[in-house]
Amino acid sequence: MSPSDADMKTGSQKPDQQNWSSRSVGSNWQHQSFYLAIRLGGRRAAYLLLYFVVAYYVLFSRLARQRAAHYLQRRFPAASGFKRLCHCYQLILALGKVLIDRAVVGILGPQAMAVNLDGREELLKLRDEGRGLIMMTAHVGCWQVAMSALDFLDRPVNMLMRREDGDIDRHYYEHAGIDCPYKIIDPQGYLGGTLEMLGVLKQGEILCVMGDRPMGSERSLVEIDFLGEPIAVPFSAYKMAATTGAPIVVFYSWKNGAASYRLKLARVIRVPEISGRKAELFKPFAVEFGAALEEYCQEHPYQFFNFFNMWLRQQPATKDGYKES
Amino acid sequence: MEIKAKLKQVLIDELNLEDLTPEEIDDDAPLFGEGLGLDSLDAVELVVVVQKHFGVEIKDMEEGRPALQSINSLTAYIKEKQQA
Repeated sequence: MSPSDADMKTGSQKPDQQNWSSRSVGSNWQHQSFYLAIRLGGRRAAYLLLYFVVAYYVLFSRLARQRAAHYLQRRFPAASGFKRLCHCYQLILALGKVLIDRAVVGILGPQAMAVNLDGREELLKLRDEGRGLIMMTAHVGCWQVAMSALDFLDRPVNMLMRREDGDIDRHYYEHAGIDCPYKIIDPQGYLGGTLEMLGVLKQGEILCVMGDRPMGSERSLVEIDFLGEPIAVPFSAYKMAATTGAPIVVFYSWKNGAASYRLKLARVIRVPEISGRKAELFKPFAVEFGAALEEYCQEHPYQFFNFFNMWLRQQPATKDGYKES
Repeated sequence: MEIKAKLKQVLIDELNLEDLTPEEIDDDAPLFGEGLGLDSLDAVELVVVVQKHFGVEIKDMEEGRPALQSINSLTAYIKEKQQA
């Protein structure tokens, strides 16, 4: 679980222009060292080890600096040289702490980390509409820890999530030796899992998706501005919402203390019934998501964990918004 | 109009397959991937379209997977549900 792993994407080229991968980068023994530190000395011991490991990576791993630079040069455009190196250190350190916290919750139990939620009453009202709930977040803060604060919703939780072959970092429930508390829908399964997603929403269940990473074919992506330049994000969740009437809850978590996280309901996006699948029809909703994400980055600049070039230009648009690959 | 012919026309109209005519759509060709070339988001639209035009709801993947293989399988599914 070195800080350069897990959410630090490998940047390898994938089918359909996917330029990120969720595969872990760190080796197994590195992960185990952190787990051992947690077991022997708790969170603080793991953090202590982390400071040195992060310093090593920032100073000696060009690849780690490059991956962090995609975001940092847009979030801190005026920073250069030593200042940028400091930003890089803080960003990777924050990622490392989040990964340690995730393991801490699994190894030492959920009581080891406090999670405060803003918007509990509103979430309950949205749940009670009975049309399912699409909970959309991004690779920020620690969504796994945040999920542990959503038990009160008392509905089955389904997570659209891809786990790559070779992933060695563990989720908190794997550390805890308990069953996965949510059902995983594989975006590379039959029809990208869309029928499964429709099915769970029709049952009034909760569907969790990430709104910030391109998945699926180019025709499933829409372009929005983020930190001053265009990125491509998937719009399938908005199509699901249009089809089922489920509200989309945009929520973000951030680490706000040594052993605490805060979870905020940032937006509720209502998508009216829309026929057709042209990207432009769903752009206004994706823009809303992007605006919330940008606000997050302004408030919590070191808790944004996309270590790949989101701004890599896509192919020119066609009638659907993107050219087919 | 017979269900199969109507289904083909609806797919052309609703899924933006204007380059095709109903006659050019092979009854047994896969709807997704190779074949008609539809993708996962088209599947969502297809579920909506089948409900809107034929009054048949595809509720989950277990039902949907075999039904959404081809024009023939979807036609059979619609017929069966309409008669139930």
